[in-house]
Amino acid sequence: MIELKSLTKVYPGGVKALDALDLEIRDGEFFALLGPSGCGKTTLLRTIAGLETATSGQVVIGSKDVTHVQPGARDVAMVFQDYALFPHMDVTDNISYPLRIKKVAKPARTAKAAEVGARLGLEGLMDRRPGQLSGGQQQRVALARVMATQAQAFLFDEPLSNLDARLRLEARTFLKKLQRELGVTTVFVTHDQAEALAMADRMAVMEAGHIRQIGTPAEVFQRPANTFVAGFIGSTPMNLLDGTVRGETLEVAGCKVPAPAAGLRDGEKIVYGVRPEYVTYSVEPVDGSIAGKVVLSESLGASHLVTLEAAGETVQVIVPEGDEPALGDEGYAVPRTDRALIYRDGELV
Amino acid sequence: MTRFVLGRIGFYTFVAVVLAFFSVPLLWLLTAPFTDTPTYRVKIPDFTVANFAAMWEHPYALGSLGNSLILAIGTAVIVVALAALAAYALSRVRMPGRDALLYTLLLLSSIITGTAAMVPLFQLAVTVGLIDSQFGLILIMTGGLLPAAIFMLKDFMDSTPKSYEESARVFGASPLQIVRHVVVPLVRPGLATIAVWAVANVWGNFLMPYLLLSDVEKQPAAVIMYTLYTEGGQANLRLLSTFGLLYSIPVVLMYLFVSKKYGFRFHGGIKA
Repeated sequence: MIELKSLTKVYPGGVKALDALDLEIRDGEFFALLGPSGCGKTTLLRTIAGLETATSGQVVIGSKDVTHVQPGARDVAMVFQDYALFPHMDVTDNISYPLRIKKVAKPARTAKAAEVGARLGLEGLMDRRPGQLSGGQQQRVALARVMATQAQAFLFDEPLSNLDARLRLEARTFLKKLQRELGVTTVFVTHDQAEALAMADRMAVMEAGHIRQIGTPAEVFQRPANTFVAGFIGSTPMNLLDGTVRGETLEVAGCKVPAPAAGLRDGEKIVYGVRPEYVTYSVEPVDGSIAGKVVLSESLGASHLVTLEAAGETVQVIVPEGDEPALGDEGYAVPRTDRALIYRDGELV
Repeated sequence: MTRFVLGRIGFYTFVAVVLAFFSVPLLWLLTAPFTDTPTYRVKIPDFTVANFAAMWEHPYALGSLGNSLILAIGTAVIVVALAALAAYALSRVRMPGRDALLYTLLLLSSIITGTAAMVPLFQLAVTVGLIDSQFGLILIMTGGLLPAAIFMLKDFMDSTPKSYEESARVFGASPLQIVRHVVVPLVRPGLATIAVWAVANVWGNFLMPYLLLSDVEKQPAAVIMYTLYTEGGQANLRLLSTFGLLYSIPVVLMYLFVSKKYGFRFHGGIKA
């Protein structure tokens, strides 16, 4: 278990990278730290590893407070974004390097390297130098090296960002399977929301040194806790429309839609949020829909992302292939009320 | 067209003249040792080895080459070891005034072991008892070379990614283990360059050993060469040319060896 208690990191020069973070990562969990660049996610990972020292707060790994413990004594292993394989050592020496530091005899550590290497399909490559390996193979060597440490927790910094797009999908599945098999608590950093949704058991969405939401991918996708997460998660950002409460209904973009939540005050200004995936397109007027004009249609392959302009707001709708309207058509966006969300002052109601 | 041809002819004539200007002394160095009575001219050699036999009998000639080796290798070893540690620290630890310190050291180092500091250096060596000592000379020349060596090596260190070291650190390696296992192998071409540069510098240095070593048994080749005269006070060209050839061979061999092993690449600046 990794526990962070009001962790704060201020860089010399006054930049506050982490601001009183509280986070609990459970045993065996595959945990994602997600956020735009500069949000502090890498700093957080490096603080867990001990490569950055916390300005205040605590880092607890297992049940030991390691806030002021050297990285090597924290019982964690890290895969760096560039893998950091030693270019002057062959694959065997790279994988067994952590054991060399622990003064394991050479035959024993070579055997261990061979065993871990075989598990990751590196059998024929043990004598090669990192420069003679492909990106995917280098990544597996880096993974084998952290596996050889038998550490309590693994930390991955952007583990997929150095792979090309096709390999990335493959590696995603591979990583998730491997983590499940090993059952080792693993924290990884990514800026790609699709990667986090696909791989993580739970995730934390970060912005400017703060955690904006912690939850399972399903929770974070379906019920973003605030407008930042709503806009950041999802391959197409959520529709966020200004609205006013009118009794049981909401006035959004000049139309009336049913209110998805109770407890709203009449006349209150809110933000109405609904994912394009949860909006259907209709050519006929429907009750509780938003009328607009088609201004843009982007192909997503099997479907189209259609942008409607409605009373100065834009509403995006996912339309199955074949049903896409022509530009300039008048149409209706019909939100699914059970998937629509209300934000008051940026927070979910 | 004619203009172009004339231009080319003119250019190549110019290149040939420049080339001759530089190659004639080298030709002399290659031919004179094998000539019976060498003059200042380049002649077809007689292929005699009598000059080498004469040098063999010279009481200090061969010993001085040994002294040169001791001084050069001793200095190079200390310079490389100290410069590597200092450059690593300066490259990785953020401290105020680091760049100013480096530039000041570099500026001052051209004064140490230079003509300007001749008298104070001599007095200093006398006071601390390092006069007429090869070890003392090694220390003083190390001091002169270190700032530039640190400066060059720091550039090498700066251009190696930090994540290698951080990776080793997370695995539990101590700072000295990181230097030994990771940093030194990564900057090995840089260390080789510094070593060669230090050896060549010491090998060719005349002033410092001339100043600080009075015992002729301890003097390096650069100083002994200055003493090769006939009884009549004339420069002994037979010995001078032969000794000159022997004096230059080790440095040439070293360059060839290191260049083959590591290749003199220019590191830093552009990321590969």
